[in-house]
Amino acid sequence: MALVSSALLAHTTDLELVIRHVLAGLGQGVHAGRERGAGVEFSEYRAYAPGDEWRRVDWKLLARADRYYVREAERDSHVAVWLLLDASASMAEPSRSIGGLDKLGYARTLLACIAAIAQRQGDAFGLAVLSAGRVQFLPAARGPRQLQRVLAKLKQVQAGGELPNADVLRTGLRFTASPSLLFAATDFLDWPSSLSDALIRLRHMRHDVRAVCLQTEAECEGSFDSGPAYRDPERDASVFRFGADLREGYLRNREAHFASVTASLRANDVLHVAARIEQAPGEVLRQWLRQRLGNGARR
Amino acid sequence: MTSLWWLALPTLLLPIWWHRKKRVQVKAEPLASARFLPRTEPRQMRVWRWSDIALLIVRCLLLACAIAWLADPVFPWRGDTVVVAQGTDAQWVEREVNAAGYAEAARLPLPAAEALAWIRSHEREFKPEARLLVLGDIPMPATVPQFRRPVMLHTLAKPVPRTEAHVAIVSTRPQEWQRMFAALDGPLRVVLDKTAGPATELIVWDAPDAPPAAMRAPLWWTSEAGAFTELAQSKALDGMRYADGARGRVWASNAWPPSDPGAARALLETWRELHYAPVPYTAPPMAFAAANVSPVDYASGALRDFLMLALVALFAIERILTHARRS
Repeated sequence: MALVSSALLAHTTDLELVIRHVLAGLGQGVHAGRERGAGVEFSEYRAYAPGDEWRRVDWKLLARADRYYVREAERDSHVAVWLLLDASASMAEPSRSIGGLDKLGYARTLLACIAAIAQRQGDAFGLAVLSAGRVQFLPAARGPRQLQRVLAKLKQVQAGGELPNADVLRTGLRFTASPSLLFAATDFLDWPSSLSDALIRLRHMRHDVRAVCLQTEAECEGSFDSGPAYRDPERDASVFRFGADLREGYLRNREAHFASVTASLRANDVLHVAARIEQAPGEVLRQWLRQRLGNGARR
Repeated sequence: MTSLWWLALPTLLLPIWWHRKKRVQVKAEPLASARFLPRTEPRQMRVWRWSDIALLIVRCLLLACAIAWLADPVFPWRGDTVVVAQGTDAQWVEREVNAAGYAEAARLPLPAAEALAWIRSHEREFKPEARLLVLGDIPMPATVPQFRRPVMLHTLAKPVPRTEAHVAIVSTRPQEWQRMFAALDGPLRVVLDKTAGPATELIVWDAPDAPPAAMRAPLWWTSEAGAFTELAQSKALDGMRYADGARGRVWASNAWPPSDPGAARALLETWRELHYAPVPYTAPPMAFAAANVSPVDYASGALRDFLMLALVALFAIERILTHARRS
């Protein structure tokens, strides 16, 4: 099945629709594997079979139906999935070739897909949005309702302000000691930053940290319009100019920056994928998840 | 002088100035990776932008309309024209028009007494090369009219309409009075009434006794001053006394009826001049050369009414648009 393109992505704000189409395009690699067993979230009743634990038999139902039924629940995964969304002002950077598409929208789609996959697999998942110097935190939980909460939160997010400072980030990201998977979507333009420190710290705490670095085609190729003046959305009000004469210098600076970012991430064993938002999201998602699989970690 | 109002046209710059966005903005788009670019000086972008273009247009039109109304513009649209005094003999007009070579010219009928004054006040409606011919019984103006263009005047005196004056004679010697009235020439004719009636304009009372109180006329002539009591305190002029009484005005003289033709003519002339309108004197054919006269007393242009309507409409639209912009 053809992957959903970014151009189509720009046409809808319905995240559930996008998830359905993106995940349908992913194919067999990450299909939903559902295991049932003891847990909190009720799934269904099953007839008692020899060997089942007595404490799992529903005694009220026995009184009503005179048969033994066992309460089945979704299997509790001990892995929590954390979604970390950078919603600082620089994430509002639009694609210069596809109208209506920006980095934040793309990151929203990717994280919504991850959340949907986590929900299907019975994992607990939570969300942390970093914007305007604050951390909006949604504690990890399981089930379809949690998915609705996460999607609603993602829909509300507006890009603005700067990343929260290191202290806010440290208190804001209240992860338990249990091992968890952390998916961070950011543009890595600020490096080193409070976010980079947090990612490395979490990695040192044995969490599985993987980051997607969102870029636009124009950024990678240095193909901006030389007409207007530009300003940095997060820094002071100075004005920047772009032109054919400055392209080489721009590409060199950018190359150097991302080389240091990559080196730093690699040194700290943080997995990262560089993605252009003009790429099909399914493709990026598969790359993001395949790396994980290739690394040997299983959920 | 009104054309000096065109100098007020620069006031149109006022709304244009008001509607221009004054703030010169430095337009800078956000660019996330701007940090990899060198800084530059903010460029001053002088872009003319307009706010409320519809309102601006309406205001400019309103001002232009007001100035045009004051300046009273006239578009010269009349070509060769023959001004024909109303009531002129059509055949004579055709002959004169053809003879003067105005066969293609437009005809403009005007009252004879106002024709020359009308041409003077509407002179700027004529094209510069337009020729003007005035035909008919044009009365002689008191002063020689002056125009800024050559004007030809061909006149034909119309026969003066005859007027009748009813006269009643109460006299012991009526033949002498009748002979005098019969000698009257000119457009005024005398009709002798046997008895004084309401139409009688003159009663000749050449009898010693007083006239009956019910008999009235605008003018009485008498040679017996004793018959009219109001003549006791009368004024005298040229051997004739006159007074106003209940019956009408009375002229009295002992020398009447006039014995010589000169006195009779003088009396009849005086009567006609004082009691009847003068017979107009037809101007002789003339050619007025172009004169450099001051263009002060022109009539207002035909565009003025239209401009006033446009002014009112534009004012209403301007108020509506302003209100819509505020709310």
